[in-house]
Amino acid sequence: MKMIIGGAFQGKTLLANKIYPEIVWANGGDADWEMIASAQGILSFHEFIRKEMQTGNDVSELAERLIQVNPQVVLVSNEVGYGIVPIDAFDRAYREAVGRVCTKLAAYSTQVTRVVCGIGTVIKDA
Amino acid sequence: MMILVTGGSGSGKSAFAEDCIVAFGNARRIYIATMYPFDEESRKRVKRHQAMRQGKGFDTLECYTGLARAAIPEGSTVLLECMSNLVANEMFQENGAHENTVKAVVDGVEFLQKQTENLVIVTNEIFSEAAEYQGDTKLYQKYLGMINQKLSDMADEVVEVVYGIPVYHKKYKASDVDRRSEIR
Repeated sequence: MKMIIGGAFQGKTLLANKIYPEIVWANGGDADWEMIASAQGILSFHEFIRKEMQTGNDVSELAERLIQVNPQVVLVSNEVGYGIVPIDAFDRAYREAVGRVCTKLAAYSTQVTRVVCGIGTVIKDA
Repeated sequence: MMILVTGGSGSGKSAFAEDCIVAFGNARRIYIATMYPFDEESRKRVKRHQAMRQGKGFDTLECYTGLARAAIPEGSTVLLECMSNLVANEMFQENGAHENTVKAVVDGVEFLQKQTENLVIVTNEIFSEAAEYQGDTKLYQKYLGMINQKLSDMADEVVEVVYGIPVYHKKYKASDVDRRSEIR
């Protein structure tokens, strides 16, 4: 598993396409679990987490499930935890869930790249 | 040794900070808890952290305001968690420091530095988002930002935890300490 992370509009997708030109990407915002489970790469993975939570699905084991069924996937996800604690309870729960899920996935990943201003820095290379 | 641990929400800061404390060895471990449990969500949060600390030999000391008056025995190893709550308490609680929050908190950390052998402070990155805040919230960001900068100056190490991965912004070098003692 590999991850590309960073804030919104930092050039994560562009970089992902540059590093992995052969990958066909699924989109977290409109993919269902089957697509996620079989995709080579997933863009906007944070959107998938939001969609699951909106549907009422429990995401506390999402990282473990994904590692089990799709250990080779390349994940591209926003970091969403760098602001003031949101007033809305769902937003708070979502923000924390993205952190917890991605922390577990990063622990499993062999490589994590963080993108700032279009520049990718490899922060983990196991 | 003082380590400042920062990062976003849910990024693994606490787990990393606890690992730092355990790595310091067997001095008396004190956990300074700053989160005031005012509702069900915060009580849950406190419980989660208590479960994480279980078996690591921490004595917990609740400190919501007035850090400089905390009963910290000399030579202990302290984990303070977290700065974002302490600053909010000082600003908004009745017996807090209000407009003197920055000084109260920095004085408190200076006191901790004197009392402890090793000190780890967890703070928070709440400064990067689209929303523009006003009034108290904006002032809160300003105070916490100023405090983070001061603490970063005082610390031997500053580390941002990104999804559990430590990214060092300031790294402890034994040679720097040698040089400092030579100058003295």
